[in-house]
Amino acid sequence: MQWSSAQPPPPGTQPPAAYPYSAATAFTPVQVRQTFGQPYSAAPPASYPSPPVYGPLPTHPVATPLHTNPAAPLTVASPSTTQEPAKKKIDWPESVRNYVQRSFQTSNLDPSVTRAEMEAKLKETISYANDQGHMYTVNWEKMPLPQEMIKEERARARALQQTSHFSALSISPTSSKKRKSTDFSEGAAPPWRNGQNRLEDRITFNADKRPAPAEEAQSKTQSKFQKQLEKRQKRFDGGYKSAYREPTPPPSDGPVVGTCETLEKRYLRLTAPPVPSVVRPERVLRQTLELLKRKWKKEQNYSYICDQFKSMRQDLTVQRIKNEFTVEVYEIHARIALEKGDLGEYNQCQTQLKALYKMGIKGKSIEFKAYRILYFIHTANRTALNDVLADLTAAEKEEEAIKHALDVRSALALGNYHRFFRLYNDTPNMGAYLMDMFVGRERLAALCNICKAYKPDVPLRFVTEELYFESDADAAQFILDYQGRDLLEDRDGTVVFLTGKAKELFEGPRKAAFSRVDIKGQI
Amino acid sequence: MDSLIRTFSSAQTNREGYQLAQTLSPDLPQQQLQAIWNSCVHHDAQNVIKRGIQNSTSGFERLPKDEVQGWSDVYLAYWKAIGELLPALNQAPQSSWTKVYDAWKELLSALYRGYIGQGFEAWSIPCLYVVAKNLRIFALKADEERNNNVAAGDTSGQIFQDDFDPESEQHQKLEDCARQLNRIFTLCLNDRAPLEESRKWGIYYIINLLFKTYFKLNSASLSKNILKTLSAYRGDMPPLSAFPKSQQVTFKYYEGVLCFLEENYFQAEEHLTQAWSLCHKDAMKNKELILTYLVPCHLLTTHTLPSQRLLEPYPRLQKLFLPLSKCIKRGELHAFDLALLNGEDEFVKRRIYLTLERGRDIALRNLLRKVFLAGGFEEPKVEGGPRVRRTRIPVAEFVAAISLGSKKALEQDEVECVMANMIYKNLMKGYIARERGFVVLSKSGAFPGTGV
Repeated sequence: MQWSSAQPPPPGTQPPAAYPYSAATAFTPVQVRQTFGQPYSAAPPASYPSPPVYGPLPTHPVATPLHTNPAAPLTVASPSTTQEPAKKKIDWPESVRNYVQRSFQTSNLDPSVTRAEMEAKLKETISYANDQGHMYTVNWEKMPLPQEMIKEERARARALQQTSHFSALSISPTSSKKRKSTDFSEGAAPPWRNGQNRLEDRITFNADKRPAPAEEAQSKTQSKFQKQLEKRQKRFDGGYKSAYREPTPPPSDGPVVGTCETLEKRYLRLTAPPVPSVVRPERVLRQTLELLKRKWKKEQNYSYICDQFKSMRQDLTVQRIKNEFTVEVYEIHARIALEKGDLGEYNQCQTQLKALYKMGIKGKSIEFKAYRILYFIHTANRTALNDVLADLTAAEKEEEAIKHALDVRSALALGNYHRFFRLYNDTPNMGAYLMDMFVGRERLAALCNICKAYKPDVPLRFVTEELYFESDADAAQFILDYQGRDLLEDRDGTVVFLTGKAKELFEGPRKAAFSRVDIKGQI
Repeated sequence: MDSLIRTFSSAQTNREGYQLAQTLSPDLPQQQLQAIWNSCVHHDAQNVIKRGIQNSTSGFERLPKDEVQGWSDVYLAYWKAIGELLPALNQAPQSSWTKVYDAWKELLSALYRGYIGQGFEAWSIPCLYVVAKNLRIFALKADEERNNNVAAGDTSGQIFQDDFDPESEQHQKLEDCARQLNRIFTLCLNDRAPLEESRKWGIYYIINLLFKTYFKLNSASLSKNILKTLSAYRGDMPPLSAFPKSQQVTFKYYEGVLCFLEENYFQAEEHLTQAWSLCHKDAMKNKELILTYLVPCHLLTTHTLPSQRLLEPYPRLQKLFLPLSKCIKRGELHAFDLALLNGEDEFVKRRIYLTLERGRDIALRNLLRKVFLAGGFEEPKVEGGPRVRRTRIPVAEFVAAISLGSKKALEQDEVECVMANMIYKNLMKGYIARERGFVVLSKSGAFPGTGV
């Protein structure tokens, strides 16, 4: 429907229209309006170049050439220049001329309608008829005069504004203005409209009540441009439905305020603006947190807890709550995720925490900064590591957790596995869970070193201690895992690790372990 | 506007790409910009420009209608952009670099359309260079301005995710610029015209701009994509050596730095050395940049240090590298650590910290070598035979040395570990006999590469 330009255009498109009334048109007829002194405030920015100057009986060039490229606002420039050469020759039938004369007759002039408005309306009515090819078929004798049409529009617009239908649709002010201007051109009952002038038809907010069928029923000779217009609308109504659901509260309304009182809530990914009745306000969320803490201690059911925490995070986000409570929620979830080795969730929380700390909200920023360093070591992300180093202040570098993480980093950079495992033994907070992630590959690297450097053998106990295995058995198991059966020998009661025979055995696994780090798809 | 059109016509007649590009530059003195802006009235600009262009070429040189339209679009967009640029330069309250950026983007789009649909010819691609280069500059300015003005408040928009979207705003315009540049890249790449008339000649310029942008955006992965695309198309393209030297140097430099950042030191060294050799002898800043990465690279690949003579013309680099080099040569671990700490900020900024850290290995090796040398010689097995150094060295000696060198006491285990590393990295040849507490070094070449 033509008047869909009443709605704010979906992102990325211009609502194209041949019609002078829609804002931001490919034509620049709004400027034309200005020459008639129209008081429209819905004028698009007047930065377009000169409008084609129209005489009192304007010839409207056919709209079609414009709409080959509707979505590019830049084509604005070219059409207006091509309009001038493309003027059609128009034949004015006698009846039209009479109609015009009647409109201008003083006896018919209406004081409430300015001459300028009337002229504009007249021009429009005639050019529309011309475009539609109805010039000869319209009954100009019976046609209501422009001023009557205008009065009718105004009355209707006033009536409609009072209906609650409007507020339900919550249309922004500019669009209602636009609708008024579109009302204008509708006219009292132009014959070609077949009386289907209902506002409902014109508003395409109502995604269910597609205007298209109504339209198609109407005029048999729809111009190509109109068809394209509808196609475009349909495309956007369909494709953008998820973002343009009806009724859509305009973004400027602010965050949602929740009213739900239930403590627990399952997590569901959002695809539309949230409904307040299922969003929990902060005070309820605080209670939820306490409940979840207790439940976690008691039941240790990770999937349940994760689900609940995600929904809490969601509630906090849609209500734009960013305070110490938010930080607390994220921190707890991060720690739980770490404990269970869920790097994906951990990483999400970590990203949010970083932003929150940056805003200045208090929390355990040192602890989590240390985690970040360890995480980057795990993913071998040199750029990020570099950036983190750049960010650290001298004071932070003295903090225990961060110092530890930095020491881990430098130990690994130099291949000092001895120091690395000593540090692993003594990790503050929950960093050990993070280090668990890459202890395996570091052990492989250390083994390679040991195999090359120590000849002919070392006691297994050495391996256990250096590489910080829980026991000799674990160390042996590790070696066996890599087909090291032949390297273990029992000598006088102690097990010996034959480094001399190991050769390149551990090199392959070591390379493999270092080549790909699986971050479970969540940067 | 007239002077622009005159230049345009002469450029068209002579097919001078660079001259044509001058007409689209925003780097004119403010008065000139003002004059251009004033020369057209708003609603008339379109026609004035179009007429001007139509009349600018005559006779055999007359431009086809498409091209006229295309060029008038371009100049119109340029004119509008100047309209935004002037208030921004004057820092008028209503101005904003964002608007300048957007207007300039329109110019780029107009130019792009010209090449795609309206038959602009390939010799005019310097226009693309100028416009693209300035797009990037405006993007940077717009971002800076936005970041300065941004309050801690929310940005608008519904949130359909579970969490906030941190830090996506910071380089918004630059990211957009990167996308635009990518379009131009594809434009140049996909030109099927024969080589003499192809847009492919613009490719390296655009690539270099893209690299600069991606580096600023800190995304090495996107840069890698470019390299991949380039190698996929390699068959069709003229070789790098056929392009202007300036483009070659820049390209090689970026390629080298990319490899460097991925710890691919051997390749990085290759690229950087090429860049180094192609570089103009007077281009001090460029050379300095290349060296900043070449020196650490060289350090790791060949374990050699920059000579005094090399670094002499570059006081900044001297300050960076010389203290470290000295400590490495002498094997002074503690001093090395200190020097690294001192220069840390600078190194981190240039992303060479992690690489230079590895220099410690070399310092260590030098230290151990000293121990070896200090151990003296063994009695020759055969009278009059060559003297061989003592190769069985008690670990305790190393322990002492390292503790002295790093000014803290290390346990034996740790020292052993350190030496295991040396051996593994081929900085030392031998093995550790743990039970006996000895390190047995190879008789011939215990410390490869040092002549011992």
